[in-house]
This record gives sequence, structure tokens and C-alpha cells, in this order.
Amino acid sequence: MQSPLTQPSSSDLFKSSINEYLDNLPETVHAQLYKSPETCLAVFRLLPALAKFYIMTLLFQETAIPFLDLNRWIRHKKASGTTHRRNPSKIYQNESIKRLKALNLLKEIRKKLKHPKTGKTAVIVFVQLNPIFRQSFRDALTGFRAGRQLDPNEKITETIEESEAKESGKKGLKSSKDNKSTESTQKNLNALFSDDNAKITVEFLDSYCLSKWENILHFMVGSEIAEYPSIGVLTLLRYSGLMELPSDRQRRENSSSGADADEDFVVDDHYIDGKLTPPSGEELKSLLITKSGFQFLLQTINSQIWTLLLQYLKMSEKLMMNPVDVLNFIFMLGSLELGEGYPIGMLSDTQLIMLEDLIDYGLLYYPRDAASGGKGKIFYPTRLATSLTSEQTNFKTASAALNDQIANPATEADQTRVEGSVIIETNFKIYCYTSSPLQIAILNLFVHLKTRFANMVTGIVTRESIRRALINGITADQIINYLETHAHPGMVKKAEEKYAKKLEFENSIGNTYAADQLKFEILPPTVVDQIKLWQLELDRIEATNGYLYKDFANDFEFEKLMDYGEEIGVILWKDKSHRRFFVTTEGNTQLIDYAKRILRKKGE
Amino acid sequence: MARAIKGSLVQCDPSIKALIVNIDAEYKDIVIEELDDTHLLVDPAKIPFIKRELNILLSKNMYNPDDEVQVS
Repeated sequence: MQSPLTQPSSSDLFKSSINEYLDNLPETVHAQLYKSPETCLAVFRLLPALAKFYIMTLLFQETAIPFLDLNRWIRHKKASGTTHRRNPSKIYQNESIKRLKALNLLKEIRKKLKHPKTGKTAVIVFVQLNPIFRQSFRDALTGFRAGRQLDPNEKITETIEESEAKESGKKGLKSSKDNKSTESTQKNLNALFSDDNAKITVEFLDSYCLSKWENILHFMVGSEIAEYPSIGVLTLLRYSGLMELPSDRQRRENSSSGADADEDFVVDDHYIDGKLTPPSGEELKSLLITKSGFQFLLQTINSQIWTLLLQYLKMSEKLMMNPVDVLNFIFMLGSLELGEGYPIGMLSDTQLIMLEDLIDYGLLYYPRDAASGGKGKIFYPTRLATSLTSEQTNFKTASAALNDQIANPATEADQTRVEGSVIIETNFKIYCYTSSPLQIAILNLFVHLKTRFANMVTGIVTRESIRRALINGITADQIINYLETHAHPGMVKKAEEKYAKKLEFENSIGNTYAADQLKFEILPPTVVDQIKLWQLELDRIEATNGYLYKDFANDFEFEKLMDYGEEIGVILWKDKSHRRFFVTTEGNTQLIDYAKRILRKKGE
Repeated sequence: MARAIKGSLVQCDPSIKALIVNIDAEYKDIVIEELDDTHLLVDPAKIPFIKRELNILLSKNMYNPDDEVQVS
């Protein structure tokens, strides 16, 4: 079982933010959301593995089952040796159940039961899957729906079949000679598809969405671009705090002159409520990038999209759009097939508005002067859209694997067309062969740039420059990762040679252990270590909010509470000799519940 | 029954802990309880203040190669 305590990667970051958003929705919204099978599927994909397991086990269970059974389904590794060891599987289970409850997927039912032998009545907690979710998710898996209205998924496929059937009918008239009547319908349809929409291939969609996205990124760093992103995009960029108007900046500087400068700036959204006139398109073109905007640039393309979509969700709530519709649409995108067209007829009014916006972000392609004739009411999801809910830890299909491969180099591809161009020396000097303003702007985040030539820039990594980046919220790992992926081919070659030499040497003296331990280092280790040290230096103290428990009356109470706390992993610090321990804020309620239970037992 | 005190657990090196205790002596009402060599219970609201003060104290005796670099 994978530990939940592993370091969060950048893809986990976006996941936690969409999870957070989902957790905080009210129960009524959850209930509406779960009516859509593809939303259920997407929510399922975002859950930790154990939560998935629980859902799958409970899915076809009609009756509620005792809560304690959840414990029996997994084997707890008994803590061996020391008694007070954190129990990772217990923590993981705790975490998974918490998520399920937050999403209103798991419902608790308290029943009073009589013990068959002793005849004592006791309250036993039963759990059941949310009935709406259970129904929809069953539908999603089995395709079975009993007397229910057609779900959107079905609608899509059916309408496509219909429209394609119509097309095939038409086509059949036109070129009945070419089409053998014996051909299977499926083949027929496929042939038609490539025939009618020869322009819209997967490659076309890929290059289309990348150019759209790249355009937005280029706008953010302020490079010269031929076509400005649409007003919708600009408004969203401003709303999300990634960019700001010169007037915003002035206001912020005035207001924060005395206060903490690190404080995050929140754009006033009066104009969205209609109280103030929104800034005109011309005004918006003068947007400037903010601190969080720079951080945004270093993320992978997938998390960039999620960041924007989450902001979009928040903004759409202000615009009185139905969040259920919006979320359903976003999640539906994740289950669409790349390269296929979908008729817009099945979309609700809200979703039609969204369609426009998503086209602006490059998530969808919608041919306006459609080659498919007057009925060009078909949109095409791009790879940006279809890879939304699939990512490494969740759903690994062949196409998802490809997505990862494409999504990652994609971020690099829009900075430089060549593989890599950064050379960093052991004396912290950096040379970068580039003329792209985007890459120079990104380097400027953590490098003290000194000279700029026609096709290259030089600079140096200093404590100050790294500190500046760290204070802006960029992590050392992000910087190192960026340098590694953008390393000049010469650096890679040198690293390979060095590695081969070392390996040969270790093997020749028969030191297999050292040979195994050899790492392939593209960047000079001194630089990597130093950057990490600089980061450590910045956070000298680690603070956690919570409660200090002390003045226990006796050892029994202390041990009992502490053991429980240790088991669920909420105790950060303990001092047995003085009977004190420190509990996180989140763990405190659980601990108090437990303490009450003990007291009650004593009372009985 | 036991008592629970709300606060923020600060984990740091012994040297940093000494500095925080020093800051506390100067400004009062920061440290609620000293737990051990590397742990302190402090007022959660004072965390940003502590960080700022620490930064000032630490950067006083920090060698800055930047100046030298700019000359070369």
C-alpha cells in the first residue's frame, strides 16, 4: 500500500486543490453532481486507492454494513517492537474515510441493535454509499439504467450515432459506388469521419491547443504576439490574480506600503457583480504578470489548466452560473475521446456559454466556418481537455501514458523549439542559448541575469536570486527540475560520459554497491546541493497549529489517549516523563471524541 | 482530567530556539511553553513576527557573495 505521506508532486498539488474545491461544496450540490455518471467516474478517479477500494466493495451492496467491517477488509500491520509506532495503514485508512465523508459519498447510519446473546442494546454505526452516487456509478460501469432518464453520456453517444447515421445516409447517396454495402457500420462510420473532417486530425488538434495555450503564456510574460487572447481569458487571468492592471498594482503598492508585503493580493471583483464597469479590452491588454503568475509558469501544463479552471469555477459562481452544470461539463471532458467530434446539441445553456470560454483556452476546437457544412455544430475536445482527469497516479491507459509524454515536453516546447539550451557550471554561472522572451523571463525568476546577446543570455545563480524565487513561492525542486529538463545536450552528454567512466571504475574494482548507488547527474552536484541548502535556510522553523495536552491525572489516561493519537498519526510531539503531547488541530476533534467514548464506557 | 492548550508547535534547531527565546525576552508573550531543546509552544498569531525577526537576526551575520560577484 502506498503511503499517503509521500512528498506531493506538482500533479498532486493541482489534485489537492480540485479535491479541496469538491470537499467544500454543499451536500445539495454533491447530490446534483452525482446524478451524472461521468462526474462520478471523474470523482472516483481523484480518490486515493483505498477509498476506491471501499467504493468498489460497497457499490453492489444493497444494505448498510457495520462501520467496523471497513477495518476488517484491510490488514493492519501490527506494530512490532516499540509499542508507540505510527501505524501508516491506519493513517491511510483514516485519511481515505475522511475524504469519502467529505464528499458525502459515505453515509453513516446509527442503529440501535440488541445483542443476540446478552440482550444489551448498543448503538452500532453502519455505513452506506450515497444512493445517488451508487446508482450513477453503477450506470457508468455497467451501462445499465433502470427507468431513468437518459444520462448525458448516453445522449452523447446516441446523438453522435444519429448524426453520423444521417451523414452516412447522405454520404451514401453521394458516393454509393465507393462504399460497399457489405462494410460494417463501424468501419463505414470511421471512414466517413476521416473523410468528412479530413482537417481535424489528432495532430491538428494537438498543434491547435498548444498554440492557443502558448499564446496565453506568451501574453503573460509580455512577449510580442500577433493575436491577443480573448477578453474572457484576460478577465480570468486578472481575476485569478495571475496578472494585474497597472492601476491594480499601484493600489496594492499604496495599500501594502506599511503592511506585510508578502500578503497575497486579491483582485476586487466588483466589476463582476456589475457594480463597476469592467475594464475594456484595450485596458486589459496592458495586464502585468504577478508573483503568483510566475509560479504558474513553472507548473506543468496540466496543473496550469486546472489552476485556471478552478478560478473559472469560482468566477462562474459569481456570474450566477450553475456550478453543477459547469463541473459536469469539465468532468465530462475528461471522458471524451480525442479526435472525435461531439454535437453541441446536448449541452445546456450554461454549458454553451462555457463552450465559448473553453474554446478560448484551447481546450476545445469548434470549427466556425465548418467544413462539415451548415450543420457545423460539432466540437472537438483537444488533448488538453481529455487529459484533465487522467494522470499518472490515477488512470493509466495507453492514451493517458501518451498524454503524460506529450503534456510534459509541451511546456518546454513552447519555450524553446530545441531540446534544451541551458548550461550551468560548477561556479554557478549560467549560459542559455535562447531568444525566447518566455524562457528569459522564467530564468529571470531565479537567476541573476547579467548580459544578453542576440541568441543567448548569461547570468549567475546567487543566494539572493534563489531566495527571491523561494520567497515568491517557487520551490528548490521546481528550479532543479527546470534546469534538468532544459539542460543543453552538451551537458547531458558530459554527464553520460562521466557516469559511464565512474561505472566502469566501480565495476573494475568490484564495488557493486557503489555502482548501484551511482546517480546520473546532469547538473553539477554542488549547485543542486547549494540550491537545496538555500531553501532549508529559509525555513528555519516549522510551525503547526494545534493543542498541547498536559496535566494528566494518571498514566492510564495519558497512555490511552496517546496510543490512540499515535495510531491515527496526529501526535507531533510527546514527552512521556512530563505526560505531555501535542496534537494537530485536525486530530484534536477525533481525540476528544475518543476521550468521550472512554469516559462513557467507564460510566456504564 | 487533562488540560489542552491551544498554540503553535515550533520545531527548530537548538540554536534557532535560543534565538526565539531571546526574541521572547525582548517582546514578551510569544513563547507559551518551552517543551524541549528543539520544540516550543508559541502563540500562533506571532509566527509571522517571529519569522521576520529571525530573518533580520540571521541576515546580520551572513556573508553575501553577491557584492563580490558584481565586481568581477
